[in-house]
Amino acid sequence: MDFSDLLIQTLINGILIGGLYAVMMLGFSVIWGVMGVINLAHGDFLMVGAYLTWVLNREYGMEPFLALLIVLPVMFVVGWITQKILINRIIEKPHLIALLVTYGLGIAMANTVKLIYTANPRLTTTQFSGFWEFGEVVLPVTKTLVLVAALLMMIGLYVFLRYSNLGKSIRAAAQNKEAARMVGIEIDRVYAVTFGICLALTGAAGMLLSPLGSIQPFMGSVWTLKAFAITAMSGLGNIPGALLGGIVLGLVENLLATFIPTVGSNFGIIASFALLVVVLVTRPQGLFGGLKAAQEIR
Amino acid sequence: MARKTIAVIQSIIFNRNVILVALVVLALMPTLFYATEWCKDAEAFTSSLQTSVCGYLMEEKPVTGALLLRFTQMFILIILASNWNLTGGFSGYIDFGHAVFFGMGSFGTALLMGSSRWEGWPDIISDWSFWPAMLGGGIVSAVFAVLIGWATLRLKGPYFSIAMLGTLVAMREFMRLNSNLSGGGLGLSLPVYLNRPLFYYLSFAIMIFVVLLIRWLRTTEFGASLVAIREDEVGAEMRGINTTLHKITAFTIAAFLTGIVGGMWAYQNTFIDVNIVFEQRRTIDMVMMSMLGGLGTVAGPVIGSALLYWLRDIVWANFLLFHQIFEGILLIIIVLFVPDGIMGIFKTEDSGTSLAGVIRGWRRKSPEGSESA
Repeated sequence: MDFSDLLIQTLINGILIGGLYAVMMLGFSVIWGVMGVINLAHGDFLMVGAYLTWVLNREYGMEPFLALLIVLPVMFVVGWITQKILINRIIEKPHLIALLVTYGLGIAMANTVKLIYTANPRLTTTQFSGFWEFGEVVLPVTKTLVLVAALLMMIGLYVFLRYSNLGKSIRAAAQNKEAARMVGIEIDRVYAVTFGICLALTGAAGMLLSPLGSIQPFMGSVWTLKAFAITAMSGLGNIPGALLGGIVLGLVENLLATFIPTVGSNFGIIASFALLVVVLVTRPQGLFGGLKAAQEIR
Repeated sequence: MARKTIAVIQSIIFNRNVILVALVVLALMPTLFYATEWCKDAEAFTSSLQTSVCGYLMEEKPVTGALLLRFTQMFILIILASNWNLTGGFSGYIDFGHAVFFGMGSFGTALLMGSSRWEGWPDIISDWSFWPAMLGGGIVSAVFAVLIGWATLRLKGPYFSIAMLGTLVAMREFMRLNSNLSGGGLGLSLPVYLNRPLFYYLSFAIMIFVVLLIRWLRTTEFGASLVAIREDEVGAEMRGINTTLHKITAFTIAAFLTGIVGGMWAYQNTFIDVNIVFEQRRTIDMVMMSMLGGLGTVAGPVIGSALLYWLRDIVWANFLLFHQIFEGILLIIIVLFVPDGIMGIFKTEDSGTSLAGVIRGWRRKSPEGSESA
């Protein structure tokens, strides 16, 4: 395998994982954009989605990609309930309160899962494994399917926000809460639906990553951090930007893993952190959108 | 009725004499431990008094090494929460990764004491004795704080919080990868030195020093500037306060003291690895204890830490499996229902009583008096 093949392979891997990153962070950035809540339990909800998939896979022998049909509605309900019980109380309060409450929620969730399923790393098995070979370059089937599923969900979210009445209400609530209330939008309901949809996406992302690597109860904070890093790059609730940001992070990680041997593969989290700090310090308004320009949910 | 109860509790906690007595009791506690040890070793007792006292000590064991250890842990938590409160409470920069300085201090101390597993570790920074190594750990941590604070303290609000969370997670992974430094999965072993009273007194002394230091800082122009940064950063800057310098200074002081405690803890524990010292729970502890006591107050972290430590002890002893779930839920409850902490409850009392005056003495010496503030 010569250098150009290696480079192409690395780029392909980066793009494939980028789709997962994009759909993983969308829930985080839309919640932030619409409600102004920074959800530090994001990674833990992802973990719950992954464990749900694993349970369905192990107990009922269900194909992980089919488990999406169960994970999506279940996580929607979880999100709806969480919003009604907890998040509703902290929307109006300062950022710090939301940070601390969701942080506490994340700890409680991770430890509950640990209590039930122990801290052993788990892996789901999918029938869609193997490789498609194109000369020296290979395309892993699972990762390709993950990208396709991620793209489908993102297109679905885009169409929903763009053209459905509820989606328009969500965008209106993000732009101007008071005005939205005045034209008869039930803000509470909109928020509950938003949180539900975002958690459904997050849970789905958990499902998507479960066949790619091992899952364990305390993996949440790493994913929250990655979501934050991509959000800082792409702006809030910006779906095309999310895809771009996800691919950038995926590429950076994979390039590091390929070209700095032995340590590179584990540098992912350090890379995303470095990216985050560099972006925040040099371009506080974000790369492709704006953190401040939260009004425009595209 | 409730107000009256609060007032009574307040008068007990903040009474100078009560505090003094408590400190003396804490300071004398290890002597009972020594006495018990002495009785254990004594061949024969010379007087009836000795016999009865030793009989009591041997029978009841009022102060065991385990009890001293628990108090040491409590002191450490108070120090950590007070340090966290310096940036988190006074200057309002909520730091979700403060445990990183604890880890840096631990590793700094351990490496300086020569526990590196790497052949190529230079001799000159090896086999130091404990005291300089502990200081060295603090300095490592402070230098790291200057570097990281220079970048992250420019960020505002939640961005800073997350960037610090990122620092913690990234540093943990970085150290895990550099097994030359961290010993990798094997961790590092420090020289074994089992001396409970030493660590008890050391942490006790550092705790008093830290609380007095922060109380003093609060009265200086520096402390007032930190609070000004919290209240209105732009305004503080317009007023001529070098906000970046102030923030970095506070951050570095907190990091230095946290690093020292990390070093002490490492020596006490005799074994460290990446997962233990960069534990996220430690940060949560600092945040939660400061919040429970009251952010931005001197006494808040002390009360919060002490209360939460013994509360957790009870939960730990009775519901071992649930204690971390309990902590997460407790954090939510504290934030939602007592966001101002215990000091906030006390503050609602009408001032004018002598009690409120005592509190004000604890909380701040009025900075209005000095010209430059």
